[in-house]
Amino acid sequence: MRVVLAASAIVAGASAAAPTSAFAVDYLSAEQAAKLMFPDADAFETRQVALDAAQLQQLDAQGTRGRSANWPVRVAKRAGATLGFVVTDGVIGKVELIDYAVGIGLDGNIKQVEILSYRESHGFEIRLPAWRKQFVGKGSASTLRIGDDIANISGATLSCTHVTDGVRRIVAVVALARRAGALA
Amino acid sequence: MNGRPAWTTWLRRARPLFGTLVEIGVHASHADDHGTIDNAFAALRDVQDCLSRFDVDSDIARFHRLRCGESLLMRPATRQVLGAAGDLQLASGGAFDISLGTAPAGWRCEGDRLHKLHDNVRLDLGGIGKGYAVDCAVQVLVAHGCAAGWVNAGGDLRAFGDVELPLQLRDEAAGGTRPFASLRDGAFATSHFDRHSRSQLSAGAEEDRRPAHASVAAPLCLWADALTKVVAVSGDTSHPLLARFDAQAWLHC
Repeated sequence: MRVVLAASAIVAGASAAAPTSAFAVDYLSAEQAAKLMFPDADAFETRQVALDAAQLQQLDAQGTRGRSANWPVRVAKRAGATLGFVVTDGVIGKVELIDYAVGIGLDGNIKQVEILSYRESHGFEIRLPAWRKQFVGKGSASTLRIGDDIANISGATLSCTHVTDGVRRIVAVVALARRAGALA
Repeated sequence: MNGRPAWTTWLRRARPLFGTLVEIGVHASHADDHGTIDNAFAALRDVQDCLSRFDVDSDIARFHRLRCGESLLMRPATRQVLGAAGDLQLASGGAFDISLGTAPAGWRCEGDRLHKLHDNVRLDLGGIGKGYAVDCAVQVLVAHGCAAGWVNAGGDLRAFGDVELPLQLRDEAAGGTRPFASLRDGAFATSHFDRHSRSQLSAGAEEDRRPAHASVAAPLCLWADALTKVVAVSGDTSHPLLARFDAQAWLHC
């Protein structure tokens, strides 16, 4: 084992006086995640699920706030038969933005959850629409390219509650859409 | 060889587990790196299934449903973690306590059975389970032939093989991160203790109380994770237990 303290940690005695920076990692694109979740699929068809007011109310009644009426769903296909569904979403925490993908099998159960990207900020930026906008629909040419290094963060354990809530919401949305015949 | 050439590529994946984000990184060299990472995530999931208080089928949730005097058969992961927790409780004079004060003597392991000795005992392996799980995931990666990589479970992390892993600390007050150290072939964990925790770090006059962190580096993540609690409760970065596990500790804001 070898631990070498960073110069700033030695100088500042690891105090908050050291300068701070934002932090970002891209893990997978939505397409890569979909292929990992359904390796047997030979095609992914995107369907636009639009929930009506009654369906949004149904979600609320289940204790799962719908948040958005429009949900693009990737339908995994093999030789024309449906294998399952993949939905991507983004959530905002105290100091982080997390994009993730949820794979759902034909039985309605979660097959896999993969984090697509992670952005850790100073907290105040993520309440600014301009800062957030740069991550919407981002690809490999994202303007924030600090994620090329391999740094890892340690600190108070980050809570993933908002991801868990988001996953629950997606499972409910896909179930509703299937019952309504929107993903047949 | 020291470090890797700049063009080395790392394959990184992350999933939500243990109520936090878990990242696995491997030196991309194998045709089936994704399959290997999937297996390491499965190992993490197995540990979570054994230890999570929130999973009704976990050994810990089953233990909570027992009556005083009853016992249950532990799965291997539970047995290992509780064995280590019991050793650490004894060696630290009770500073490390997975019952969080509910009944430190309310549980006992005998072989592969876990006995409940007090009705009020509640176990919380949040202070040791993630570290053990990280070690399990690293074992899987190495067994699959990964030469270098890391596993980071929400800040409890371990690096193996030929990689110098830069560590950043999160600034809990203002956000953002700052460089702290680089880690090679070892584990590192940080715990945050606020004014409500039972830590010496938060003792003292109200106006002096500030959020504080304890970080520990050790060869195994189980010990790094668990020893952050001993350091925080004792406020001692030279605690005798650190040397026993070849560990180093730091306190910081």
